[in-house]
Amino acid sequence: MSAAEIRARLIEDAAVIYPGPYLNQLRGESIESQCQEFLASGVRRIVINFEETELINSIGVSILLGVIESVNHAQGALMLSNLNASNRELFEMLGLMSHVEMVDTEESALLKLGAQMEQVANRRPTAI
Amino acid sequence: MSNADAIRILSRLPDKEFVDREVEVGKVCALTQTGPGAQSRGSVITALLLGAPRVGKTEILRKSFDRLFNKSGEVIPIYYALRRSCLDPEKFARDYFAQFLAQFVAFRRNDPGLISVADEALSVIARGAPPEDYPWARSMVDSFTWASQAEDPSRLMRFALSAPLAACAHAGLTPLLLIDNWHLVAGSELHTEFLRALAENGASGQASAAYVLSSLRRTMTELIPAGEELFDRLEMIRVEQMSEEHLETLVRRRAELLGVEISDSTIELMTRQLNCDAFYTRAILDGAASRGSSLKTFIEFERLYTAEVLSGRIGAYLNAVLRDVAPEPRAGRAVLEALSLVIAAGSRVPIEAVTERIAEHTSDGEALLARMHSRELLEISYGFVNASSDPVLSDYVRARFRSEIAGAPRPAAGEELLGEKLKHSYSLMMSRYNRAIQSQLVELLSRFDFQNVPASLFDQIAYDKLYRGMSRIQVRRALDDEEKRVRLPQIVLVHDVGAGEQPGVSWRLFAATGFEGGIYTEGNEVLWLVALINSKEPLDVETLGRIDQPLEAAERAQRAKSGLAQQAVRWYISKEGFSALATERLSRLNAYLSTYTHLDLIQDYLTKLALGGEARPASEFELVIPIEDEAELIAARTAEQIARAADFDQQAINQIKTALIEACINVTEHSDSPDRKIHQRFAIDDDKLIITVSNKGKPFGRANGQSTPSVAAPPAKGARGRGLQIIRALMDEVEFERTDDGARLVMTKYLKRPGSQ
Repeated sequence: MSAAEIRARLIEDAAVIYPGPYLNQLRGESIESQCQEFLASGVRRIVINFEETELINSIGVSILLGVIESVNHAQGALMLSNLNASNRELFEMLGLMSHVEMVDTEESALLKLGAQMEQVANRRPTAI
Repeated sequence: MSNADAIRILSRLPDKEFVDREVEVGKVCALTQTGPGAQSRGSVITALLLGAPRVGKTEILRKSFDRLFNKSGEVIPIYYALRRSCLDPEKFARDYFAQFLAQFVAFRRNDPGLISVADEALSVIARGAPPEDYPWARSMVDSFTWASQAEDPSRLMRFALSAPLAACAHAGLTPLLLIDNWHLVAGSELHTEFLRALAENGASGQASAAYVLSSLRRTMTELIPAGEELFDRLEMIRVEQMSEEHLETLVRRRAELLGVEISDSTIELMTRQLNCDAFYTRAILDGAASRGSSLKTFIEFERLYTAEVLSGRIGAYLNAVLRDVAPEPRAGRAVLEALSLVIAAGSRVPIEAVTERIAEHTSDGEALLARMHSRELLEISYGFVNASSDPVLSDYVRARFRSEIAGAPRPAAGEELLGEKLKHSYSLMMSRYNRAIQSQLVELLSRFDFQNVPASLFDQIAYDKLYRGMSRIQVRRALDDEEKRVRLPQIVLVHDVGAGEQPGVSWRLFAATGFEGGIYTEGNEVLWLVALINSKEPLDVETLGRIDQPLEAAERAQRAKSGLAQQAVRWYISKEGFSALATERLSRLNAYLSTYTHLDLIQDYLTKLALGGEARPASEFELVIPIEDEAELIAARTAEQIARAADFDQQAINQIKTALIEACINVTEHSDSPDRKIHQRFAIDDDKLIITVSNKGKPFGRANGQSTPSVAAPPAKGARGRGLQIIRALMDEVEFERTDDGARLVMTKYLKRPGSQ
């Protein structure tokens, strides 16, 4: 089964992924492999923008959870943005809120992620 | 699959294809029941299984045999089918005795395979008996052999006919004798001996058996005259023609089994054209399977039909029936001539006219016609001959007559019958549709019982002003608030007073009489004249004039008959409404004007009143999607449109879509559906949307014992089962139901949740 086409773009050192109108297994797996590629190339700030996403199914949610875990494991940060009310309700129902932060817009997500990464960098000990 | 289906012995159809006949099998099997619920007519029972040709009598007997054999209880079934080749007394006696003995031994051994040894020598059959039965079986065979040497056919027949009773008494069993084709005994010595055996059955404290005699229904009175004492003790089991609904089930199952592609409209056409005949239907489907053709279009069906009638299974069957009635070629010609005459006449023909026509080919035309009557090839009644109502027989006769008697040249390509059937298929489907609407109207008129209904349903102009652009569900709600009402009369009688047609329009007229005001006096007697008009365009004034003439005649006739004083109420129901001029003219007459949509709404409204507010779903939709990537999106889009029409808000619509997607995924993931399809039904009610998602094959979801993870459970990659959690959270009611061939999930969403404001 070939992975579905999804859109993604790099903004400075952050990546934004757009799952498209329906997050199902196919698109979930595409997001997963896109994230792996970004992480492998050193990108640590990832936003998934659900603006175009009308529907999400439970398999898509399961894969998304795997993506969140992978990003956390790679010391990165991930945020979800532009969720409509129904998708937000679905994520809340499935307990995703405790695993990932959701913000209203892509810009706020990028700003927040930038600030978070700076704080992390400032806390790291400086090599002598 | 039932146990009986697991071991099919004599029956030819698997249980799945044995549709609409369980009641009859139940009646047959119950004839020998003892204990609570058993027949209360004593131990001596003779039942007649009566039905038209091809209605399934033989299979009912065979299926009953299998059920009782597999049950291995105290009732031993014995099946015997009379054959023309075994009507000679000695041949019959030998055959009957051998068949009985083989079945008895097979039952005692619980080995259905032994039934097939009936063709062997009697001593060989007896050898198969278990040790405790062998001495007795051997002695029966010896007795039969001695009796056959005595050259007394009557005695031999009596011995054979009494053998089952004697054997069962020895073994402590109750025999149920299933005698097929019993009408073949007519006019033979066998008939006398059978009647004697039936009369002596259980007499003077002897052992008794239950008999089920399957027979053509028209020979019954000839076989057991009403004056016979036996007649009073007869149990009648009538086998009726299969209903359209059951035949449709049968078609779908058999087509699926044979891998024949078929469409809904072809199934409808097939049902109509074959007159709900299960035998013809199976023949067509088997023909499609063996020729590798599909039945998705009318032409595919009609091609196959033509081929089957002219030279396939159906043709071979009808050839055999005609040969059976008239084995001699000249008499065969007489049969075709007679059939052709009455079919072409289109109405009853004096019997003398038919015998005169066939006199050249047969010396005893009346006897031949009587045989044809028995086989239901035609019907003789009070000196007249009518054609059979079997449309397939008509096609067969016309085609054979044309080619074999009239000597019409055969077309260079194609068949005339095919062209005829194709032309006929469209009008056949339309006539079915018209009949359905007519039945709906008659049923509706019969329900008129002084109810007050919204006036706009009888006034198309008012309806359009009030409700134009509204969905049906919105109209239903608004009708409750409509102030102006029409008080219906109580209708007592509905008469069909004629029909008519012209290109693009057909109509049927009804006169309904009843009372208004609740007091049954002449002054309160009313007449409603109803015109049901199926037209492709709004009804115009010219056509209205043509409809009004017979309607006025019907009014005059009713008035003359009943002395009706009041003015008749006119109600015109036109499928596509009325032209402006027609509306104006009818308004001057104070006539009621409705469309087919109004008819539906009136029906809904009356149902709602009858049920105290609970009405049937306002609208129902069905959707079948294939199990493939993202097909669930099509279901979600459909649900969105339907939910929007039912006034659900956007949030609820999204919840419904998400729940439906999860239901489809559940089917895809957990079922093992053989047709790889998901069936969905959407029913909109006044306050709710009910979605039923069903599949064939392995049950899914709860019906499969699948657990639903708790909401608190930590999510993890790859975890499944969230689907049910989502469905339950988003819908108001969720139920799983097992079905015969799979499972279904019923989800309900209320417009307002119960208890909410």
